[in-house]
Amino acid sequence: MKTDDLIDALAAGLQPARPARLNPWLLAVAAASSVATVALLLGVRPTLVEALSSPTLVLKGLYTAALAGAALWLGLRAGRPGADTRGPLLAMLGVVGVAVLWGAIELVAAPADQRMAVWLGRTWTVCGPNILMVSAAAALPVFVAARSLAPTRPAFAGMALGVAAGAMGATAYGVLHCPESTAAFVATWYTLGIAAAGLIGAVAGRFALRW
Amino acid sequence: MDREAELKRLMLRGLDGDPVAWRALLTELRGALTPFFRRRLIGLEADVEDLVQDCLIAIHAKRATYDRSMAFTAWAYAIARYKLIDHFRRQGRRAHVPIEDAEALLAEHSVEDGVVRRDLAKVLSILPLRQRRLIEDVRIGGFSLAEAAARNGCTEGAAKVSVHRSMKALAASVSHEN
Repeated sequence: MKTDDLIDALAAGLQPARPARLNPWLLAVAAASSVATVALLLGVRPTLVEALSSPTLVLKGLYTAALAGAALWLGLRAGRPGADTRGPLLAMLGVVGVAVLWGAIELVAAPADQRMAVWLGRTWTVCGPNILMVSAAAALPVFVAARSLAPTRPAFAGMALGVAAGAMGATAYGVLHCPESTAAFVATWYTLGIAAAGLIGAVAGRFALRW
Repeated sequence: MDREAELKRLMLRGLDGDPVAWRALLTELRGALTPFFRRRLIGLEADVEDLVQDCLIAIHAKRATYDRSMAFTAWAYAIARYKLIDHFRRQGRRAHVPIEDAEALLAEHSVEDGVVRRDLAKVLSILPLRQRRLIEDVRIGGFSLAEAAARNGCTEGAAKVSVHRSMKALAASVSHEN
């Protein structure tokens, strides 16, 4: 096809375009998949209603939800050619920084003989793998939600979307199932699980986000 | 003179669904993309037309990713750069295309620009030679003020003043002709 004809054909059928975004329906599907995966494969804590009023659980949920929000913002920016990604990247790292600082202060304040218990809890070996498993369910709708975007660095955008899926999964896991409640535990093992999801997302993005 | 503002105006009208503006924008972009890719595909000239078409299709299909508050050139350059890197990758070549070089998209000229150049030469001919060289370097050649000053053997300050005076003289001569 000649370029002149191509230009004519593209211009002829032009429709008004609304700004591209992450599809909110698919993001809702991702959140619902995370909840369903925890409920079906891991089980919901029996004391959920009482637990929801405990500040530690709320803070845990806030951390991972804020991380998911920042990562989605980063994913959206990374999907716009030429857009500045420093703002959302700093926001994402800032959220992690606050959690790590909080955990460190908690560890320093704890009696020396209890530090390991505060840090490792009872479930540190299964926390990361569980978060990865739950976020796998969220990852597909999150990646499909970005389909209308145009990431010029697919691995970077994939990392952001992987972190978003990881943090969504971690939120469902933390609120519905995980019995741990120390900031040091959450800042370490949740963050590692979410970072692993980000790494897998970066590798997947190289292929899945090409356009 | 301000091509960014003109292209952005066409882009915004295209986003609102104006096919005439969209056609004009794609045509302008074709004129900028062809020399841009040709210079980066030395020895692969046959691929240039394909890549231009790929890029125009991408710009059309992904137009909704343009943020109205952003510079249009930065957006279009990011897409052209992505398509070029993608092209190299598919050919198994690794290449580095600088990320911060958005002006490059508009700075290059093709043979088709010959007519414009002739007109430009006519307008510029009213300037003294030295002033003329400076303005050609800065406004057409894509050199920075400091580079142009070095090329013409004067200080940056003097170059700045000279370019400013030239622009005023040119503007006066053009409006006089009308």
